[in-house]
Amino acid sequence: MLADRPITPSTLSLKDLPWQIVWDREKCTLCGRCTAVCPVQAIELGVFRKRSVVPSLDPQRPPANSFATYYGIRQKTDPACRCVGCATCTLVCPNDAILPVHSDEADKLRFHINAGGQPRNRGGRRNVPGSILDRIKFTRISMLTDPALDAGRHEFELRTLLGRVLPPEKNLQFLRENGWIPPVREIYPLIIGGMSFGALSPNMWEALQLGVAYLNEELGIPVRICTGEGGCPPRLLRSRFLKYVILQIASGYFGWDEIIHAIPEMKEDPCAIEIKYGQGAKPGDGGLLMWYKVNRLIAAIRGVPAGVSLPSPPTHQTQYSIEESVAKMILSMSMAWGFRVPVYPKISGTSTAMAVLNNLTRNPYAAGLAIDGEDGGTGAAYNVSMDHMGHPIASNIRDGYKTLVELGQQNEIPLFAGGGIGKSGNLAANAAALIMLGASGVQVGKSIMQAAAGCVGSESDRCNICNIGQCPKGITSQDPRLYRRLDVDAVAQRLVDTVLSFDTELKKIVAPLGRSTSLPIGMADAIGIDDAHAAGRLDIRFVV
Amino acid sequence: MNAVDQQNADEMVLSGRENGHRLPSRILEERIQQAVAEGHRRLRVEAFGQHGIGGRLWGAGGEPVHVIVEGHAGQRLGSLGFANTRIELMGPASDDVGWLNAGAAIVVHGNASNGVGNGMAQGRIRIGGSIGARGMTMTKHNPRFAPPELWVLGSVGDYFGEFMAGGIAVVCGVGPQNPGNVLGYRPFVGMVGGKVFFRGPHQGYSQADAKRVPIADGDWNWLMDRLPRFLAEIQRPELGEALCDRTQWQLIMARAPMERRGRPLRAMGDFHRTVWDAELGAGGLVGDLTQVPRTPIAVVTTGDLRRWVPVWENRQYTAPCEASCPTGIPVQERWALVRQGRVDEAVDLALAYTPFPAAVCGYLCPNLCMAACTKQSALMAPVDVTRLGRASIAARLPELPPLSGRRIAVIGGGPAGISVAWQLRRAGHEATIFDAAETLGGKMARAIPQSRIPAEVLEAEFERVRAVIPHTRLQEPLTPADVRQMAADYDAVVVAVGAARPRSLPIPGAERLVTALDFLAAAKTGTAHPGERVVVIGAGNVGCDVATEAHRLGARDITLVDVQEPASFGRERQAAEAVGARFRWPLFTREITGEGLVTTDGEILPADTVVISIGDSPDLSFLPETVSVVRGFVKVDDQFQTSDPKIFAIGDAVRPGLLTDAIGAGRRAAAAIVEVLAGRRPRTTARRMIDKQRMALAYFDPRVVAYESLDQCGAECASCGSCRDCGICAAVCPQTAIRREETAEGGWRYAADSERCIGCGFCAGACPCGIWDLVENEPLG
Repeated sequence: MLADRPITPSTLSLKDLPWQIVWDREKCTLCGRCTAVCPVQAIELGVFRKRSVVPSLDPQRPPANSFATYYGIRQKTDPACRCVGCATCTLVCPNDAILPVHSDEADKLRFHINAGGQPRNRGGRRNVPGSILDRIKFTRISMLTDPALDAGRHEFELRTLLGRVLPPEKNLQFLRENGWIPPVREIYPLIIGGMSFGALSPNMWEALQLGVAYLNEELGIPVRICTGEGGCPPRLLRSRFLKYVILQIASGYFGWDEIIHAIPEMKEDPCAIEIKYGQGAKPGDGGLLMWYKVNRLIAAIRGVPAGVSLPSPPTHQTQYSIEESVAKMILSMSMAWGFRVPVYPKISGTSTAMAVLNNLTRNPYAAGLAIDGEDGGTGAAYNVSMDHMGHPIASNIRDGYKTLVELGQQNEIPLFAGGGIGKSGNLAANAAALIMLGASGVQVGKSIMQAAAGCVGSESDRCNICNIGQCPKGITSQDPRLYRRLDVDAVAQRLVDTVLSFDTELKKIVAPLGRSTSLPIGMADAIGIDDAHAAGRLDIRFVV
Repeated sequence: MNAVDQQNADEMVLSGRENGHRLPSRILEERIQQAVAEGHRRLRVEAFGQHGIGGRLWGAGGEPVHVIVEGHAGQRLGSLGFANTRIELMGPASDDVGWLNAGAAIVVHGNASNGVGNGMAQGRIRIGGSIGARGMTMTKHNPRFAPPELWVLGSVGDYFGEFMAGGIAVVCGVGPQNPGNVLGYRPFVGMVGGKVFFRGPHQGYSQADAKRVPIADGDWNWLMDRLPRFLAEIQRPELGEALCDRTQWQLIMARAPMERRGRPLRAMGDFHRTVWDAELGAGGLVGDLTQVPRTPIAVVTTGDLRRWVPVWENRQYTAPCEASCPTGIPVQERWALVRQGRVDEAVDLALAYTPFPAAVCGYLCPNLCMAACTKQSALMAPVDVTRLGRASIAARLPELPPLSGRRIAVIGGGPAGISVAWQLRRAGHEATIFDAAETLGGKMARAIPQSRIPAEVLEAEFERVRAVIPHTRLQEPLTPADVRQMAADYDAVVVAVGAARPRSLPIPGAERLVTALDFLAAAKTGTAHPGERVVVIGAGNVGCDVATEAHRLGARDITLVDVQEPASFGRERQAAEAVGARFRWPLFTREITGEGLVTTDGEILPADTVVISIGDSPDLSFLPETVSVVRGFVKVDDQFQTSDPKIFAIGDAVRPGLLTDAIGAGRRAAAAIVEVLAGRRPRTTARRMIDKQRMALAYFDPRVVAYESLDQCGAECASCGSCRDCGICAAVCPQTAIRREETAEGGWRYAADSERCIGCGFCAGACPCGIWDLVENEPLG
């Protein structure tokens, strides 16, 4: 800012910002790449004046001043152009002359991102690093007690079941009375969670679908992927790849007319239908795809006109209770595919999850329950929802599993855990921990984006601008200038690599338990934690 | 004795059974070791399931030991076998034959079960049948010794060769257990060394670890050299010929570390093309919905793929000086002309905006342009426009257009009236000023002290005006009827009568007050005699003028009083203070007496003359009823049109203001009248003031506090919003994308080549004048 201007309460200095650009005049070659690629125009060419005073005590040569002008990279302090720390500047700098550095203290900006009374809105994840899941250890390493397996040598076929597994006598009764039993899918325990076409760029979405198809058809790993709520491209609906896809229906109902039109032409049934009631990252909050992201392509897939904002309300507007939701939506979705497709709800982690689960246990059409914990990600939400609302996934899953055990139904209705799995990079360990706490499988999103597409977001509030369509990697942008930065094949390949390495790590964890086919779901005696309170809450071993 | 008899005579027979009971493995082992220690070199063991027979016979001191095993050998036959040992099992074997074999030659005349040769590092195992699972696993090859060998006549079981790190296995495929697969299920997982000859069909092996290679001559010769010995040992020499067909043999070797790969995977690009797109159609997932290319692009892009594009916004915004000048003079354009050495044009340009460029800009105006100058925002001295103003005394009148025949009556010959008439004449219309005074000029001519402006400057500019504008001197005050008639006779009427009626105070002795206007007019004509002591009520700028003039006329004790903090500022205030005038406030006047001013507190301020200078109000009694008057001033719209559409009003009659306000109002009213006369809706100027932060002031010397010349002023002007043609943008552009072009009109422009530009915005950052901006590119897709 200009030094002679009056300051306002929200006038900030570089020191007040969360990220400071460290720029090296010596190294900089003034190539312009950093300012060309900054997603938020946080930096610009600055003209700087350098004064030199030439002192002298000689009356014949009086002291003098001289001024020189030089160019450099200047960081803006306007909150609208604040550096988000994505380091795309660093990425393109040929001389390593520029680097965003996180402030050494809590920024002051956070008190001012509410101009006009509008609280902060952003994308990303909860800005709290670490996870209780990272602290869970696998303490049961069978060497001579169980038939231990060698993850590198033995053959594994780690699969889980998605669908309602009724007791045999009930199944027989169903078959007799209805000529039908609930559909069950045998799938890989890692599911790519719902991220919509619209929240993700076309290249990102296609890359994930392509990678999933590859995993299934080339490697025989039955990974499934959820569409999120944004419709599904008509071609995919009419392809055999649909069987790898979980179609999501949520409160905005985007794209469902296209799905209905496609049903008579489908070659394959979808893997399942997920009814989204809540999202872990922003429980109780709805979605909003801003009008500038709704280009012609998004509009066509969602079945809306281009250039309008698309809100998804926090709730399904015509449904007021679990009973109603379960009764109406599960039944209707089951009917659409002739009861051949499992239908399950997804809720955000919540202290009321047990009420939902209890209800589902009484509904033979309910194929499972997905619970999305507080560490989930989102394309856009209020900061307060992301940072402060929601329920940790570990205890929610554990409670759910123990509830099922009490009912004697732990093998009947699968629980799927989501939200922050792999947030610190420990994807397989986190997944295995949740499985042993009682999950039948996990849904992952962010860590896949990080591993497969190089998402730079972090729990230290780095980047997290998925909401404004300026994703520097092109993951969450609808602008071809950005999303073409993503090479579809390369992202798909990274997904494949990630799943393969996940698979090896998961084998390493379950092999000492002698498991090669059935997952150790709910095998909580195999894990421990070095925190007595956590151990008590999760009902697992306290180990120090 | 023949050799065989001799052999038999030397042979030590050990039974694994004693008194009808099986000996423990430990006891049999002790007896075997004992026999060897006693010098026996040929042992015949009748085994009853004892384990580990034939191993560890180093007690022979390197002499060959031959162990013949009959009956049922237990597990680990020949385990930890030593190089001097030859073991021959006359029937089938149990698990782990030759476990950790360190050199023994072992022959099994039958099948062997699981784990043959596990961990073997030296020696040979020859099996006359097939073997079970996990044969030849974990084998080694120590370079100090020959590699271990495993020969199998039939087939091998599952998981053959796991973690095999060395040695050679030969699987002959004769009478295999599974004729469809002589290598078993999943062989060679984790194999890192050694080679395997085999003959017969297989069902796959770990491609990640092992590879099939052609049998080189050396390998073939090795195999053929040793095959007869193997067949002889297992007593099947008749098979020799059948096994010599090179085409039936295959060879597998471990992959070198560099050759290892996770799995033989199909390339993703191939899958994309041949599987994905084949199922979905060309363009993949959304090929039917969009034609926008989606192939990868670089992060740094040019052309249409730039996210930002530079735009050269020359003169798109007004400079702060121009924007803040009520007259609207484009000050920065005049400095640009000065920089180009066209001082005359810079001077003349002013006449397009004001009839008084010298008098007002050079002397009388508080110079709001300088107050707003961008350089002020960096605490630098504003460019001195008064120099240019004073030089404008030489401004030449442009050639005037022929008269259009449209006529406008202007009531009032002050600066507002002159300005509107001046501009109307420049537009080709005839504007006649009606004024009661003898000459044009109004207060400007009569009420401004000479100390503020040299008389010749004022006179020169009035002369220039008079040459252009007809003046009708009114002999009698106008009446509403006169104005109605004027409106009928003329195309438009402009009321510019100013505020000529001095305000006074309703206090005793008010008749003794001299109005400021009267005093200043008298002072100018030399007829005023204020005396020694003067009190001025109202300490505004006019009051200050009174004080200054009074001092010039001999007053020495001058007091300005006000009911509040005086509003005077600038040159007028400085001049009054310079002559020693005192300012007193708050002070309230009770009456005026012969002694002077009496305050409400009873204090007497002695005065020979008391001047009242608390402002003037317009005398609007002549206006017809069609013209609305609100609180003593004429009500006008943005175009200075009154409630009577033919009558316009400007200047102090509308709103009290500075000279420059009156001149600017005249100019804008004239523009509106021109439009109205042409039958068009009056235009409003849409250009906004440039954001001061766009200019880069770091180029200028901050230590300049005063300007020495017009040239220096021109050089130090930031030229806000107007390109100064410095070429910095072209020089700073990292892509050499910016070039200067001559325009057809003889000017210039700068343009960025989109095929080179990366949208870095360096041009915008470096431009001293704020011309370049960086804007979002047109949306794609």
